[in-house]
Amino acid sequence: MADAAIIGARRSWAWLGIVPFFAFAMLFLILPTMQIVVGAFRTPDGDVTLDNVANLFQPSIVAAFSISIRISLASALLGCLIGFAIAAAVTIGGLPGWIRGPLMTFSGVASNFAGVPLAFAFLATLGRLGLATILLRDWFGINLYAMGFNLLSFWGLTVTYLFFQIPLMILIVTPALDGLKREWREAAEILGASRTQYWRMVALPILWPTLLGTFALLFANSFGAVATAYALTGSSLGIVPILLFAQIRGDVLQDPHLGYALAFGMIVITGIANGLYIWMRSRAEKWIK
Amino acid sequence: MLHLKSTTFLAGLGLAIAALPASAQTMDELIAGAQAEGMLTTIALPHDWCGYGDVIAGFKAKYPFLTVNELNPDAGSADELEAVRANKDNTGPQAPDVLDVGFSFGPAAQAEGLTLPYKVSTWDTIPDEVKDPDGHWYGDYYGVLSFAINKDIVTESPTDWADLLKPEFANSVALAGDPRASNQAILGVYAAGLAAGGAAGADAGEKGLAYFAELNKAGNFVPVIGKAGTLAQGATPIVIWWDYNALSGRDTLNGNPPIEVVVPATGVVAGVYVQAISAYAPHPNAAKLWMEYLYSDEGQLGWLKGYCHPIRFNDMVARGVVPQELLDALPPAAAYEAAVFPTLDEQSAMNPVVTGGWDSVVGANVQ
Amino acid sequence: MKVNRFWSWAALTFGLLYFFLPLIGTFEFSLRMQRGVYSFEAYRVVLADPAFRATFAYSVLLAVLTIIIGVVIVVPTAYWVRLKLPRLRPIVEFITLLPLVIPAIVIVFGYIRLYNTSSILPLTGTATGTNFLLLMGYSVLALPYMYRAVDTGLRAIDVATLTEAAESLGASWFTIMWRVILPNVSVAILSGAFLTFAIVIGEFTLAALLNRPAFGPYLQLIGANRAYEPAALAVIAFAITWACMGLIALVTRLQKFTQVPR
Repeated sequence: MADAAIIGARRSWAWLGIVPFFAFAMLFLILPTMQIVVGAFRTPDGDVTLDNVANLFQPSIVAAFSISIRISLASALLGCLIGFAIAAAVTIGGLPGWIRGPLMTFSGVASNFAGVPLAFAFLATLGRLGLATILLRDWFGINLYAMGFNLLSFWGLTVTYLFFQIPLMILIVTPALDGLKREWREAAEILGASRTQYWRMVALPILWPTLLGTFALLFANSFGAVATAYALTGSSLGIVPILLFAQIRGDVLQDPHLGYALAFGMIVITGIANGLYIWMRSRAEKWIK
Repeated sequence: MLHLKSTTFLAGLGLAIAALPASAQTMDELIAGAQAEGMLTTIALPHDWCGYGDVIAGFKAKYPFLTVNELNPDAGSADELEAVRANKDNTGPQAPDVLDVGFSFGPAAQAEGLTLPYKVSTWDTIPDEVKDPDGHWYGDYYGVLSFAINKDIVTESPTDWADLLKPEFANSVALAGDPRASNQAILGVYAAGLAAGGAAGADAGEKGLAYFAELNKAGNFVPVIGKAGTLAQGATPIVIWWDYNALSGRDTLNGNPPIEVVVPATGVVAGVYVQAISAYAPHPNAAKLWMEYLYSDEGQLGWLKGYCHPIRFNDMVARGVVPQELLDALPPAAAYEAAVFPTLDEQSAMNPVVTGGWDSVVGANVQ
Repeated sequence: MKVNRFWSWAALTFGLLYFFLPLIGTFEFSLRMQRGVYSFEAYRVVLADPAFRATFAYSVLLAVLTIIIGVVIVVPTAYWVRLKLPRLRPIVEFITLLPLVIPAIVIVFGYIRLYNTSSILPLTGTATGTNFLLLMGYSVLALPYMYRAVDTGLRAIDVATLTEAAESLGASWFTIMWRVILPNVSVAILSGAFLTFAIVIGEFTLAALLNRPAFGPYLQLIGANRAYEPAALAVIAFAITWACMGLIALVTRLQKFTQVPR
């Protein structure tokens, strides 16, 4: 009885601990961007309306959301897989320890190498007159473009996105891999588990919530990325951020309220993605505790 | 605290001076007012666009008591208006004083009350079609759309829009912007439509889209946004660009690679940009001084050096104040004879056609 | 269980190829400024500018401050949520994902509207106030990465047991954070620090519209309509940022007290 009262009392001021974060988020994230939410439901004259949101369901915008989600899923998935492989190689894969430091710092820089410089780097390497394309053609006789490769395509953009997705994965998953205690592997070995069994039944379940969380981060990261797509496939790819920018920026009079509705739509999709991730993670965590 | 108060006081003083009727201020009063303000904030002025780098340097040299804040050179016209709106209550250095926006944005800004009317001393020499009678906005320079060609990659230069469809220009042609958002790119589509025989307005917009659909199907269109870098590297050997950008791009590349700038034989579209002073400018006197500078012969020649045709070009040529070297550096005047200046109505009819139809008609869409 | 080193080397080699090829492509292009010969002309032009050093120094300072603020806000929050308020986790995580999808330009215009000279908090009126606003903006941009990194690190240690043990030994809240939690998540914080550093150095929109002399706007002003200089700038910025991160890593490694013996 007394315990319950104490726990109740403790819980009531536990909320205080979260106040700095919420104050920070309120003052510097949520309030300044309320304009999006408010603007999404207003006409240029200031009346409240649902038209902007209703307009989101026209075919061209639905297609834009669809392709945005697909690219984000593709780059997040590949980023997770490849990033995990590299991070695992460096932490528990038996590679020399001195590789880790430079890899981490390099990943830090590469994680933010995006936009025009990245698009240009890939054009200069894998474009039709790119360095790699020409070298492959002249030294190895492999003509990439004749084989159907095209940098300016869905997969070309995904490959370009991976340049900042993979390092992000590496940086975030490495501490988690560090947390895989050696004792667990040894214990599993003693009990006769093969490497596959160890991974399937011990390591992956432990890492699963982290992997899911990082996947969600990579998805949102790619979903919001616009500068690279714009610079690389500017007039061909109709992803949502580009559409958004066409409405609220640019040199032609557009409909900023549609832009706000688009941004609102992106926030909703991020919320849904986050919700899905939380649900999957809670299911995974149930039998770890 | 004291610093903040004195700034507010001076801003108030500046506003009080600015509240006087525009014509009542002499240059000396303007300079005195600007001296009190001490600062000018510009936005969206890349240094390589129309030689703005030198124009700003010239202004700073003439009025050394003014600091020039340059905000966001990457801003589009919509960004500039948004900056004015967001800074309505702000007198800090983030609030732009002067704007340089696309033609259709002038009236739009005026309608929203974002502009301060002002008539420069050379007002009468600005053509009537490109200025607001009350002085809210006024044309500043224009250029025509041209092809910038990388001569290392393209040996035989195209001379007209129809040429671009030829097979030797496979994977070569790019616009310098996104045709759903960039004035330059949309007018590029429009120009192609005019060359294909479209009537001014929405019809040319549609014919332009059909042209680009054909260009894309032929495999000649590259959806990358063309810049000096991609032009030189070879990803976009032909860029459809304002002639002033193409010429200044040719200069910065300095023969590496050699660039040829060709104004197409048909479908020559001229684009006008307009200047305006922000209604909420914290430094209205400095802003007016800037306008006087830009519309003086000195300022106009500064733009001409950047290959832009200043709005008072015809007047200055008639008075013989344009140096011959500058005239020679421009594309031949004959190319400009056929130039079409789209009116506001034609542009507003054509814009939604192009921006709305690009994805579905041209279908350069990636699957 | 023998670790199969072949696959590790294969993964690393693939990674190296993928990452270095585009950088080599950019570097090769930047050397082509003088026609026909490879030269460092573009680099000479770029490095000769005094504004380069000034803006880079400014951005480095802001980056370090952003990292500190990020750690101060995120680590206690993540710890607290994990320990005491697990039901708030979805909301907190959703908030941390928002900066990824809200365009920076909307954020900065929001700041100008809220904190201009006529508001209750006239941050834009003074240089210090604007610097503070920029710092907050950067912290917001770095929030998703810092939070995810720290959360991952906290997940790997048994926070509840450590806290209980420390409390039973009489540690104050501050001591727990500073001497128990922080050293154990130092690797994760380092990851978050790298990500934050890179973001701040390259950031353009916030600095440009708030009119601060940062590196991002400088890069844009120089490189906007050039061909070779932007490529050189990209390579230089990459190299210098990498070097700075190496320094951060070195400094952290030399701080013995943050080390947890492996």
